[in-house]
Amino acid sequence: MAVSAAPAVSSSLATRWTEVGGVRVPVELVTPGWPDPHMDLSTYDPEADLMALNMGPQHPSTHGVLRVKVWLDGETVVKAIPYVGYLHRGVEKLCEKLTYVQITPIVDKNDYVSPMMNELAVNMAFEAALGVEPPPRAQVLRTILAEIQRIASHLISVGTWGLDMGGAIGGGATVFLYCMRERELILDLFEELTGGRFHYNTHTVGGNRHDLPAGWDRKAIEVLDRIVARSEEYERFLVDNPICHQRARGIAVIDPLLAMECGASGPILRGSGVDFDLRRDAPYAAYDQVELRVPVRTEGDALARALVRIDELRESARVAKLLLQGVPEGPICALKPVKLPGAVKLQEGEQVYVGIESPRGELGTWLLANTDRKLGPHPYRLKIRPPSLHALSLLPYLCPGHTLSDVVVIIGSLDPILGEVDR
Amino acid sequence: MSLSDSFAAFGIGFRNLFRPKVTAPLPWKERRPRAERYRATFALVHDAHGDEACIGCKMCEKICPSQIIVVTGGPKAESPNTGKKRGWCADFTLDLNACIACELCVQVCPADAIVMLRVQEQPGFDRNELLLTMEKLYANEKLAEASWADGSKLIAMQEPGGATAAGGAGEGGA
Repeated sequence: MAVSAAPAVSSSLATRWTEVGGVRVPVELVTPGWPDPHMDLSTYDPEADLMALNMGPQHPSTHGVLRVKVWLDGETVVKAIPYVGYLHRGVEKLCEKLTYVQITPIVDKNDYVSPMMNELAVNMAFEAALGVEPPPRAQVLRTILAEIQRIASHLISVGTWGLDMGGAIGGGATVFLYCMRERELILDLFEELTGGRFHYNTHTVGGNRHDLPAGWDRKAIEVLDRIVARSEEYERFLVDNPICHQRARGIAVIDPLLAMECGASGPILRGSGVDFDLRRDAPYAAYDQVELRVPVRTEGDALARALVRIDELRESARVAKLLLQGVPEGPICALKPVKLPGAVKLQEGEQVYVGIESPRGELGTWLLANTDRKLGPHPYRLKIRPPSLHALSLLPYLCPGHTLSDVVVIIGSLDPILGEVDR
Repeated sequence: MSLSDSFAAFGIGFRNLFRPKVTAPLPWKERRPRAERYRATFALVHDAHGDEACIGCKMCEKICPSQIIVVTGGPKAESPNTGKKRGWCADFTLDLNACIACELCVQVCPADAIVMLRVQEQPGFDRNELLLTMEKLYANEKLAEASWADGSKLIAMQEPGGATAAGGAGEGGA
């Protein structure tokens, strides 16, 4: 992780910085001690009459099938443990039975809010193992798709978080419905390009499967302009709303050192003042052709994470528009089009790790290649490192001391996608 | 809160009573137009000579990630229309219950026989209605407009040396 100059988009707070392990972090957020997630409840005040409560797995505001077991003293959380695994589908094991070209449509379903990122992550791993470089047109196309998908994902994240915080009473339902309306425009764009509204299967090993249709770039720029214009509105809904302020300001302040310890990345880390983004620090696809301004805020609370997402959304629109104006001509796939399941062959024992910046943080793929006579070339092991799982591991540290209603806000601000956590 | 405020509120309600509607009712009959490349359920097509295009080569069966396609190849025989000897498909089933609409079967088809359709939804009251047999697939050919993609167009679009394919492809304006 590189130490970079002052963050491009900093918050208005005057912040003093310190350096820990080569990483610049805001002094205000560094706390002396973290709550103990493995607290022995028998040592807790015996008069307190603790109550254990299971939130989930069917709770509507746990963003899926997350179960959080909370121990309550009155309304204050004493201890909180998240349990995952209710959406386990064995995707990684299934990938060991499939050949490389068949894996792309399967991993689409992992992070079901940004499927484009899953495809990109596994295909980049296959390409790295194969030593294939996609042609420039495919690189730019992938970057554009990834950025537009990031906008759609952040729209859902901000919208559902608004719903968590107040529903219809706090004005959250308005943000949610407006965000969904804008997301629909993006789904229409993808439908026109790939034919699928949500599970695209548009990336393949060595490039893309679908080329831009005529006039798509003009439509995309129009949609992006509209979303950027309306994003001011979402920010006003959140920042100018006193209910939102009371519920989110100062809630779940994350110590950047704790966040790094738990492996959190993406908006969670950037909301805590750590200036780290794989798109800029380890550029892949066509990110080296654009200058990315990474939004960083130093408050570290739930509201800061939402505002980082809105800033990122605008930045993504800027980058996508920039790239759409100069898509290079040429082929979209470096390899011959797939006609057989075993079209892509990797050397047995080939090992590679590739990490990309998904909307939730670092989405990694670790691959160990294998081949046998019956199945053909397939992964011996395909490990997916989901950013949401690492974000959820912060939960036991964040919840103690807050009230039960804050737990909903905290989960929403971490933005976990359970399909990706359990795989 | 005075009496005049109450009357003002009544006034607003009364005005809204005669305002034109801003919402539209849910369209029951007509369907919104889908994009050219939209892909949903499947069809098997006839070729230019009027023969069934499928040659029973089982490529789609091999590539399907969900393994939902079962093809039984028939013996080689002469085509009644062209007189040439070619392969035939004896039976073809596609289980739409487990289909993930990945379009790989369309891409690998060497005869451009299987295509996807631009219908929005095709619900059924029975799981058997989602099990597409050969008769249903050939009936689907006339049921709805086919999606843009077929095997040769998808291959041409991805060919490393080739130019962008015809029909909806190509560099856009702006």
